[in-house]
Amino acid sequence: MNAPVFVRDLAKSYRVHEREEGLGAAMRALVKRRYRDVRAVDGITFEIGEGEVVGFLGPNGAGKTTTLKMLAGLLYPTSGEATVLGHTPWLRESRFLTQITLLMGNRSQLVWDIPAADSFRVLQQIYEIGESDYRVRLDELSDLLDLGPLLHKPVRQLSLGERMKVEFAASLVHAPRVIFLDEPTIGLDVTAQTRIRRFVADYNRRTGATILLTSHYMDDVVALCRRVLVIHHGKLLYDGGLADLATRMAPYKLVVVTLADGASPRFDEFGEVVASEEGRTTVRVPRESAAERTAAIIRAFEQQVVDLSVEDPPIEEVIDRVFSGERPLSQVRS
Amino acid sequence: MPEVRYARIAAIFLRTEIQYAMAYRANFTFGIVRLFIVVGTSIGAALILFQYTDAMNGWTLPQMIALLGVYYLVQGLADLMFMPSVTKLMEQVRLGTLDFVLLKPANSQFLVSTRYVEPTQIASVIVGAAVVALGASRMQPSPALSDALSFALALACGVALVYSLLIAIGTLAFWFVRMDNLLVIFSSLIEAGRFPVDIYPGWLRATLSTLVPIGIAVTVPAQAISGRVDALGLATIVLVGAGSLVFTAWFWRRGLRSYTGASA
Repeated sequence: MNAPVFVRDLAKSYRVHEREEGLGAAMRALVKRRYRDVRAVDGITFEIGEGEVVGFLGPNGAGKTTTLKMLAGLLYPTSGEATVLGHTPWLRESRFLTQITLLMGNRSQLVWDIPAADSFRVLQQIYEIGESDYRVRLDELSDLLDLGPLLHKPVRQLSLGERMKVEFAASLVHAPRVIFLDEPTIGLDVTAQTRIRRFVADYNRRTGATILLTSHYMDDVVALCRRVLVIHHGKLLYDGGLADLATRMAPYKLVVVTLADGASPRFDEFGEVVASEEGRTTVRVPRESAAERTAAIIRAFEQQVVDLSVEDPPIEEVIDRVFSGERPLSQVRS
Repeated sequence: MPEVRYARIAAIFLRTEIQYAMAYRANFTFGIVRLFIVVGTSIGAALILFQYTDAMNGWTLPQMIALLGVYYLVQGLADLMFMPSVTKLMEQVRLGTLDFVLLKPANSQFLVSTRYVEPTQIASVIVGAAVVALGASRMQPSPALSDALSFALALACGVALVYSLLIAIGTLAFWFVRMDNLLVIFSSLIEAGRFPVDIYPGWLRATLSTLVPIGIAVTVPAQAISGRVDALGLATIVLVGAGSLVFTAWFWRRGLRSYTGASA
């Protein structure tokens, strides 16, 4: 129970109203509505330790945002329990709210028509931050995020990347101990994504804050998280190291062979050929027989092999296989 | 001290909103011009009416003018502070940006109620107060100190009542998301408060005193300044005002439990 984030059997159902398309159906729906219960989060259990950065992975609608919102106190769960820093989130006690933050990449908390600096003053009052603390923190955040003149321009004049940096500063000005990030890099260009990633890593190192983040970009997760939670249809499929994810979820390896003179003979007998171009062939082989098959390939083409490597499949591919139901996972770390 | 802290938060909200309003100077000026036209024509209408009669159901001309003043005062306060907040609340519920309000370590009903202000409406409040003073100065006999005190009390309770109702309508958005039409119905019924509630026929008077109690929110303070309110009337508005605040606070918390936010 000492973990900053503790979740047990947490579940949330929504009642959604459904109708067929078309005007007729819309009119019928005015009178009589049909409802369906959707289990967005279906009994998940996990803990996050002090200072950990954990990635929360899953396709759209898997229940990631719903879980984050319950942990930030925005939603009441249907059943189950959770504590964040010893508080039950949805009671929304002030002492809890001053220690957490939730940043949503697709929503803005800044007032559009005024410079961010004015919005920051409002936050200072709400969070009761003393003037000297406020100065120190804002300087530090300005420094880490390179905010400079951005704070004094009306928010609507900022680019998406600039706005996101300011949103980060706004979400962190009260120095929260637990940080929930929901798609923090969505829509940003590669440079801005990299900056945000570096910032999150630095911030975690400097402050020891506990971070739970969702992202569609695997690069975010690979760069920041050693541990990941995989959720699908509201259920937790995997909880463990990022490195282990490939081993557990993808029971195969990729052997990449480059032959001299661009030769590309048949590799079918060694495994499934997934790519082949200009003498460079990628063969998918079962994980347990990877060594044996690699040796067989070398024996067969001994003279022609220019280069050979044995790789884990890219993490996106692994995740994709799981979500498309190709390889259901039974193993969940306890 | 929480009171000091909340006063500071309200002050910084107000400062931000004034800054924002000043950016649109022309709009500010026209708002004031519009106000003078509206107040002028309705006082003019009352003057014409009273050329044919000395009293309307017991209300004399100075008393009618005081009532119009109370009406502009109450409506001005509603438009200054409550209407912008409720309109914005509905938008925030629909877009899901209310999340950010709920993440803050302060009373969410307070934050929602004070965050948005329409500073141009301050003129309506000042004009309303001036019109009340004008009516009171013409009354025979002049209002006693006790009348002024019961006026202040009745006005505070009337404003609390209007505030509670508007926030309660806004809170309905937690279940139904769009409540704009109900808000429009409510604001057009507020218009009916321009006349004393006791001149309306029974069914309408009942509606204006209970369902949309703008009638009592405006009429009772005007009766008070005219020395026409009795202890029972005053006690009723105090009870109703305080009760509506308690109800709305409860209703707000109930609504929050149903808030699901815009998905994703």
